[in-house]
Amino acid sequence: MTDSRLEKLLGTADADAGCDHAGEMMDEYVERLLGGEPVPERLAEFVTHITNCTACREDTESLLALIRDEEKKDER
Amino acid sequence: MTAVALDQESAEWLRGLRADGPEREQTVERLHALLLRVARGEAARRRGTLPDRALEDVDDLCVQAASDALMGILDKLNTYRGAARFTTWAYKFAIYETSSRLRRHAWRQQKVEMDDTIWDRLPDTAVAPLQRLERNQLMAALERAIREQLTDRQRMIFQSVTAHDVPIDVLAERLASTRGAIYKTLHDARRKLRQALIEAGYGEELTV
Repeated sequence: MTDSRLEKLLGTADADAGCDHAGEMMDEYVERLLGGEPVPERLAEFVTHITNCTACREDTESLLALIRDEEKKDER
Repeated sequence: MTAVALDQESAEWLRGLRADGPEREQTVERLHALLLRVARGEAARRRGTLPDRALEDVDDLCVQAASDALMGILDKLNTYRGAARFTTWAYKFAIYETSSRLRRHAWRQQKVEMDDTIWDRLPDTAVAPLQRLERNQLMAALERAIREQLTDRQRMIFQSVTAHDVPIDVLAERLASTRGAIYKTLHDARRKLRQALIEAGYGEELTV
């Protein structure tokens, strides 16, 4: 994509999990990311989806923030 | 996905939720309290996205969201495979229920309106005249494809989400649909438009 405006309009062309399937993968993705583990190939469609879908991206960011906060509390 | 060995805390949650009598009741109560805390945390995080008039109803929305999240979790308990901790799995239900309610709540007094001149007013980041001309031609081809290739429903959803920034949860409510179904329509519309642009000779501009 050459331009962020086009990307916002058309999204990316890669395989996209869709909201329902992405919802099933969100928890695993978040824990892997926070654990510093590599994101496996089977989660690639999830990553594409949160690039293309604002609502699911925001929900993923919220889950990441929540787990990160909990981990910080546990460390104290 | 195959089941994996659960951590101790996750296994305890599952045992409590699958138990009978007082043990189950206590576990459900504990889970509901946890979900309500998550819902309130999510509302606090999203507070800046809400208009002032919407703030007073937020706690009621959190209570509803926590209850619906609990129902969803109990309904789908058998699908939990342990790919993440039980609490992480459960939190996403509360976040989904809360965020979708808050998006709808923020839009409660706004209409979803179509304005076909919106495409001319989207900000263009291209600076050089030649670049700007190319972008204008591309946008003209895109507008043509929007008019000619999309169904009415696809056009309405595509335009609402990409140009008017209407959250898909708001469209889902107003069209008596679901987030997943609205996104599928958006995705199909985008695929048609990409194809139309490729056929019009703009394939290179679409490559990542």
